Amino acid sequence: MFVQLARRKFLDKYPWFSIYVASTIVQSAVVASAYRIYDVPNMAVWKIAWGSQLIVVSLRFQAVVELTRRILGGYLGIWALAWRLLFTVGIVVMANSLLFSKGDWYWISLNVERGLELSIGATIVALLVFARHYRLPIQRLHSALMIGLCLYSAFFVLDYTLLEKHVQQLAIFWGFLSILTYLATLLIWLNAVSRYPQPAAQAPPPVIPKELYGKLSSELNLRLHLLNRQLTQLLRSEDQQR
Amino acid sequence: MSASLLFFIFFALLVLSLLLWASRPSKHQFTPGMDVFEALSQSRHCYRFQQIMQALRPEDTEYLREIGQAALMHTLRQQRRRVALTYLNCLEQEFETLLEISRTLAVMSPEVIAMEEMERWKLSVAFAANCTFLKWKLRLGLPPFSGFTLLSSMASSFARQLDTATTRIAEATVRDAQPSAPGHQNIGGV
Repeated sequence: MFVQLARRKFLDKYPWFSIYVASTIVQSAVVASAYRIYDVPNMAVWKIAWGSQLIVVSLRFQAVVELTRRILGGYLGIWALAWRLLFTVGIVVMANSLLFSKGDWYWISLNVERGLELSIGATIVALLVFARHYRLPIQRLHSALMIGLCLYSAFFVLDYTLLEKHVQQLAIFWGFLSILTYLATLLIWLNAVSRYPQPAAQAPPPVIPKELYGKLSSELNLRLHLLNRQLTQLLRSEDQQR
Repeated sequence: MSASLLFFIFFALLVLSLLLWASRPSKHQFTPGMDVFEALSQSRHCYRFQQIMQALRPEDTEYLREIGQAALMHTLRQQRRRVALTYLNCLEQEFETLLEISRTLAVMSPEVIAMEEMERWKLSVAFAANCTFLKWKLRLGLPPFSGFTLLSSMASSFARQLDTATTRIAEATVRDAQPSAPGHQNIGGV
């Protein structure tokens, strides 16, 4: 994947995504070395594994931010609204995840990771729904990278939640599921990076004065209100007749 | 089953379903060349509201039953239900056009008002729900006539309000249309 990113000259176009992919390779090497050095899993290995995992998840988050900016960055007003909305979605989901994990403080690192993954998944979905609402074009490469990131996050949450109670007994099976999920995601990215052309630089959208937007927007809302009221009155009058 | 398990499974499945829905290819795309004012000046179906309701008055069909033409009355009512359905489709189309205009404006504006965007989103959800409900009522043959008649007095004031709104839009445009910032393209005289 990393070679393909370099070959297609995507490394400088998507620096955070590339660093994230590289970090997963480095993390695997580091954790494998730790297991080899310490022989029996102990606290040091645990710290190395979870410390590196925290870095990897943070980089995943950065990759999502980078792609979001690529998709929405050209639309000034929309971007200003979207980043606040997406940030709020992320925080709310993360907070709820931690709240629902209450009582399992022994597994704090896993719970934090699950919360982060769910938060990443929700943010990506909110972005895609947002872009769809405003009919914004998303390049196929960006779409595939986002879908890969979201699928991995959602399946991580599902895997961990279903095996939560037996995570120690089924550690190997859980590891197998994680690898399988990551490989599936990698295939989606590899296919996208190999097949889809480099997104062309988009011309900035035409701009209208913000004062005009403000006025037109409220008038349009009034018209929408009136149309909606017409329907509501229709429904109410029917009820009154009975 | 614990609350935690339910929460995470439900949320993960929700994320996956929304991902599936949102990643479908979209039929519509943002059209920067869209002429906002041409779209705004398109004919409005609400003006035909009064005529539609006049045609749907129960008295218009009730007399057929009295003269022993119940079958004809039912046929006529069915036809009028179809008219009402077509009318609702037109209203829906008009609503969608207005939403499309507002989306285009939001995309082109360097700053958007979050509350208004939220309001629009809520309105579109409410309208879609009301419209679907009414359509099903008409399709299932639930009494559509009585309800329509009560609205006849409302129709004219509604049309007047729309006229005022459109006039204000035109006035605002004339007042505020200024050459845009260097490097930025102007659209449709906006």
